[in-house]
Amino acid sequence: MEEKILEVNFGPQHPSTHGVLRLKVKLNGETVLSAEPIIGYLHRNAEKLSEFNYYASNLIFMDRLDYVGNHNMELGYVLAVEKLAGIDVPERAIWLRMLFAELNRIASHLVWAGTMGLDLGMITPFFYAFRERERILQLFEMVSGARLTYNYISIGGVYNDLPNEFDEKFKEFVNDFPARLNELKSLFEKNEIFIQRMKGIGILPPEVAKSYSITGPVLRASGVNYDIRKISPYLYYDKVDFEIPISHGMDNYARFEVRFKEMEQSLKIAKQVYEKLPPGEYQNSLYKKSGLINIKGAGESYVRTESPRGEFGVYVVGDGSKKPYRVRIRSPAFHNLSAVNEMVKGLKIADLIATLSTLDPVFGEVDR
Amino acid sequence: MIIEEGVLKDGTKYILVEKSTLIEELNNLKNQGYDYLILMSAVDYKKYREVVYHLGSYNDNRKIVLKVRTEDDILQSSTPLWGAANWFEREIYDLMGIKFEGHPNLKRIFLPEGWHGHPLRKDYDMSKKQYVNMKEDGTDLVSFNPEDGW
Repeated sequence: MEEKILEVNFGPQHPSTHGVLRLKVKLNGETVLSAEPIIGYLHRNAEKLSEFNYYASNLIFMDRLDYVGNHNMELGYVLAVEKLAGIDVPERAIWLRMLFAELNRIASHLVWAGTMGLDLGMITPFFYAFRERERILQLFEMVSGARLTYNYISIGGVYNDLPNEFDEKFKEFVNDFPARLNELKSLFEKNEIFIQRMKGIGILPPEVAKSYSITGPVLRASGVNYDIRKISPYLYYDKVDFEIPISHGMDNYARFEVRFKEMEQSLKIAKQVYEKLPPGEYQNSLYKKSGLINIKGAGESYVRTESPRGEFGVYVVGDGSKKPYRVRIRSPAFHNLSAVNEMVKGLKIADLIATLSTLDPVFGEVDR
Repeated sequence: MIIEEGVLKDGTKYILVEKSTLIEELNNLKNQGYDYLILMSAVDYKKYREVVYHLGSYNDNRKIVLKVRTEDDILQSSTPLWGAANWFEREIYDLMGIKFEGHPNLKRIFLPEGWHGHPLRKDYDMSKKQYVNMKEDGTDLVSFNPEDGW
């Protein structure tokens, strides 16, 4: 039979692209020869927009980057601005930031677990994952009043202290979650079809991952023990006890395992943070309300943080005025996605979808 | 060749290198263990553009910043050193208009081909709206008239 190479546009509107990704896929029958990601469908140029606003106003653009890991996005920007402007943060606020960053990591991974199931034709895990995520969102709603764009972590501290009803809801969640997580995991783990579609598929060798600046769970699933929280601790990550799950599988199944273990570790951190939470101020009183407008900064700063998808950071250049001169965002999902061509060569087209779902790209952040 | 050395506001050491020795200096740093290209950014200082390389290591907490300045917007590509440079440079070309010589596939990454100007430039004209429509063959058509296109 004659061999014929077929070029197919996969997306931008496709249920398994987690947003608006278009892949130009070259196929030989069902085998993928190459997949070129074409991005930019969600591009707003948050970097340019940030040049026209006060330092504090830019927070809303950060919220809209990774819209399932918002607290982590705010954190990366706020830490950079605080370093630039030399702003002190009360101890309680730092612990609160850590608490919400970790809870958000769990929420983000739950979205991933649910949508990965959908991509592979399993609908049930989606409901299990979103049931738990809903409880985390309720905690976020209690403190920030919002369910999607929290605007909670602010320059100089956090927007609000914990309300009274938080304690009960949080403890309930912490008690229930480990069993619920195991339940969710077993839906995948005990499914023979799922394992067949994940094991040995989408191999990403550590050398390739390093060359492509890949970070986060994707890198750790390739056997590289690298987490900003351990390597270059920010906030109080050096004061809590946790482990970095890694796997040497390099395939889709390894990435699945690492993310599930990370959720356990995040819960462990959240528990410790809640116990250690000191009383006191939650916001530097100089930077409450109108004080936020007067923030000025000169120089350059970049603070590395570990978002649910990998290393996130914002490079802020200030010229001494109330508005930043340049804001540059490092988005982890952008790099994780850039290696997709290396991972899918020679796979079947169905495996391309499975591989893409374990990379967990969020397009608010990829396209910025 | 290092022109200037110093420490940034966040405590990271930086070096400013001569444009013609950029790849040599990057290679030196890579051989010293800075094997992780954290971030590549470009800043428009009106008279010149500065490209900033944040380099780190996959083994420890090392970090260094390498800067290079260009007035004619042409630099050497660092794609032979890092795979990640490919998309970084495409992004900088797209939004800042700096061309990287030796890049295998230097085209716009976010904006459609045919876009007028580079948005992150300080002199970019934001008052003119640009519209993206489709040509008859399915490719993008960028124009100042919303009615244009197939």
